[in-house]
Amino acid sequence: MTGRTVLPNDTSIVETTVRGVLRDVLGLSDARAAELRSETPLFGAMPELDSMAVAGVLTEMEERLGILIDDDEVDGEMLETFGALVRFATDKVPQ
Amino acid sequence: MIDHYDWRGGREAMLRFGPDAGPLAIIAMPLFEEANRLRAFAVGLCRALAARGIASALPDLPGQGESLLPTEDIRFEDWRAAFAAAVVHVGRSVHGIALRSGAAVDVEAALVSRWRLAPIAGAAVLAELRRATTTGARARGETVAVKIDADTDAPILLAGNRIALSLFGALADDDAVAASIGVPLRTLRLANDPLPADRKVEGAPLWRRVEPGNDLPLAALLADDIAEWITRCGG
Repeated sequence: MTGRTVLPNDTSIVETTVRGVLRDVLGLSDARAAELRSETPLFGAMPELDSMAVAGVLTEMEERLGILIDDDEVDGEMLETFGALVRFATDKVPQ
Repeated sequence: MIDHYDWRGGREAMLRFGPDAGPLAIIAMPLFEEANRLRAFAVGLCRALAARGIASALPDLPGQGESLLPTEDIRFEDWRAAFAAAVVHVGRSVHGIALRSGAAVDVEAALVSRWRLAPIAGAAVLAELRRATTTGARARGETVAVKIDADTDAPILLAGNRIALSLFGALADDDAVAASIGVPLRTLRLANDPLPADRKVEGAPLWRRVEPGNDLPLAALLADDIAEWITRCGG
């Protein structure tokens, strides 16, 4: 991967990006995407978030945030809530 | 109109849009799941091109979409040969429009120009299929390994697709977006995609949307860009 010019290092930027990824991949309305809170449950609670969708969310997060996610790092915990997913992504972004 | 084209492995369907005269374009669809997600959008794009006086063709690839051939019988070179044959069937002066991994399929075709939307290489397609196979299971607390038995020719099951070992290897080896040697190339990407492009446009990646959607304003915007590009490339 080359050509990265933006390296977000701020939680709010990461949160906005992850929110946008979920909206685009799951086809959520802007209103539903805006309602995502830190404690909002994701995997197992959102019917749109199936296996294919998880793959799409991770790949889209990689592209937009310029991070790499090893499939071995994926577990139920990081996908449990919106907040958990944002924390996982924030830890990956170069500080 | 539904047309067909013949290639060395059989006959596949091809939708045709637009006027009988005027510039000709052909759409190279992405592979596997992304083709389903972009089907409605591609048809919308073809209609938008027709409204701008450009005729277009939307061929099925063997082993994909409505094709009667089983996916597991397909090799990577079959897709490239079939697409090249579709271009010959369409006409002598045809402009290529590649959506995503369509850019890995149109490489052998005799095109007069190449226009690409968010192109990816075969290896990225494979990575996405592998990820879809493993991550969902991992999220549920299960482990799934993608089994590859090099001693047999048994197809590999990836995210619901049965893929021959030779196709798996060829996709893995296709690790960079294909160059366009000797033919003008224009690449567009979405604004939130950090990779370089000739133009960035606002829009959501429909190719990742779980339930296929459409975006007619984006199709119209891209059709304007393609129409201007085709004019610049000599029509």
